[in-house]
Amino acid sequence: MVDIISQGINLPLPLLMLLLGGLTSLMVGLLSERIGVAKLREVWMIIVSAATLTSIYYLNQSVQKAGVLVISIWGQLPPLGGCFEIDTLSIFMSGSIAVLGFLVALYSISYMEKESRLTEFYTLMTFMMAGMTGVVMAGDMFTLFVFWELMGLSSYVLVAFLKSKWGPIEAGFKYLVMSATAGAFLILSMAIIYGMTGTLNFAAIADNLRGAAVSPWIIALFSTLVVGFGVKSAIVPLHTWLPDAHPEAPSPISALLSGIVIETGLYALARVLFLTFDPGMFKLPIAFLAVLTMTLANVMALLQTDIKRLLAYSSIAQVGYMLIGLAAGTTYGFMALFLHIFNHSMMKGMAFLASGSIVHETGTRDISSLRGIGKMMPVTSLSLFIALLGLGGVPGTNGFISKYHLFSAAFGSGLGWLGIMGVLNSALSMAYYIRIMQVLLGSPKEGFKANEAPILMLTVTMAMAAIIVILGIWPAPLINFATSASQSLVEGLSTYIGAVLG
Amino acid sequence: MVPLEPFLVSVGLMFVIGLYSLMVKRDMVRILIGVEILFNSANLCFIALSTQVPGFVDPYAHSIVMMAIVLDGTVIAVGLAMVMNVYKHYKTIDIRKLRRLKW
Repeated sequence: MVDIISQGINLPLPLLMLLLGGLTSLMVGLLSERIGVAKLREVWMIIVSAATLTSIYYLNQSVQKAGVLVISIWGQLPPLGGCFEIDTLSIFMSGSIAVLGFLVALYSISYMEKESRLTEFYTLMTFMMAGMTGVVMAGDMFTLFVFWELMGLSSYVLVAFLKSKWGPIEAGFKYLVMSATAGAFLILSMAIIYGMTGTLNFAAIADNLRGAAVSPWIIALFSTLVVGFGVKSAIVPLHTWLPDAHPEAPSPISALLSGIVIETGLYALARVLFLTFDPGMFKLPIAFLAVLTMTLANVMALLQTDIKRLLAYSSIAQVGYMLIGLAAGTTYGFMALFLHIFNHSMMKGMAFLASGSIVHETGTRDISSLRGIGKMMPVTSLSLFIALLGLGGVPGTNGFISKYHLFSAAFGSGLGWLGIMGVLNSALSMAYYIRIMQVLLGSPKEGFKANEAPILMLTVTMAMAAIIVILGIWPAPLINFATSASQSLVEGLSTYIGAVLG
Repeated sequence: MVPLEPFLVSVGLMFVIGLYSLMVKRDMVRILIGVEILFNSANLCFIALSTQVPGFVDPYAHSIVMMAIVLDGTVIAVGLAMVMNVYKHYKTIDIRKLRRLKW
């Protein structure tokens, strides 16, 4: 049932593509400046992300055949050396990353046209995707940490990319200090795991720690893990960097950060918590954090006047919904969690891209001065409208499907009050989405002019809108995929452990 | 076998010192040094725990700490680059002057 690849230096194919692509994109950028061929690095970025998508498809075939694929990096057999352990869940997450990354790469061709330092931009973007892919494929805690820091470092620089303005620098520094502190907590949690089990391999951790009696060290481990992963995934007491960092980044990067980076944090939290503890142990604390996250973020989003900042707060609220799935701790709950991760990456990615088009054309992010933008930019406004409907959970969009599954998972696992809080919050969140819709549909002020966005940006946003609607009407294939992903996490636990420990 | 308690106590103390300098200091470079103290206390925890295997010192923890030190260094380097950019904009590195972003 299990394939172990352990000869020589090995990396999973998508990760290899992204790392090599990132390294060569520096040279390609230099080349394109020297010989004066325009758009060479953009084309290279598209090729790299398309190659990643293709290689994930082939990796999926071998994973489906083998069940769990173990790839040891330096030719040492796990649990001694670092390794990648790829199951259907890793494929699901890396697929979401690659799909959103490909669309964002297409979009940023025309969005970033007027900026300088584009070589650095595309290189960092590739490395950020490589970091995320590594996180979702990692088979031990330290491999996860290395790729976690790769993702983190590239995103700090990308948040502060437009360094001629004060906002990005300030937000970037805040993000860096908070995330670096979380990194220290993560090393501390690794030290505690190491002290308790003598290894950092996920399979060995699950074999040793699951079902252990609650002791002060277990509590310390749980809290350091939640702080360490919680800062990146913006769980509420630790969220304060997000509403600054996500709006100040360039819009394609906001889409990637909100769409998939915080979800990668959530994936790591779900994977490590599920492997280390029984769901019964982390159920109530996570449920409490979920309620706090949803409620506070929704109330704060009501007060915002900046469109991208509002969307950033809405991302925090969506993280709260996803935590419901983690708190449920069943196969169904995890299925809903991963379904919502993909759907949210599409909806929030698209909302940020569409609002990015609006910011690109009008130069303002203030909601009230955007009144009547729907008349000037009908296509962009239509796609933003669909994304907002999806985020609010209106039937017919994929947001409804995944929210339905999340809330019914909460009811199904005996956390009825959590489901009720989720439904109430979802209704509350509609209030600020409707506020943006009103602005989109309102009549414009005198002398307010804006042009429709370039055709490439329109194509990307309309394609994502089509995905949202299609998955809202015909969600079965994605639900099946998410179900097999969560089965590989929950029911395939013994396979996952057996793949390494034999 | 080396006794563990003195190391764990110093890990705790360093962690508190790091968090204190994150919360109280106004100078951005000192804040980064606070982050570095946090990283080092976590690394020290690793090294201290690696001596607890009977008979030998576990090289696994040492290899991990080596990599972790490199990663900490890169994070701090990016942070210092941002401090330089902050100085260009604000002509100060006092963190309390950076409060245009809130809410």
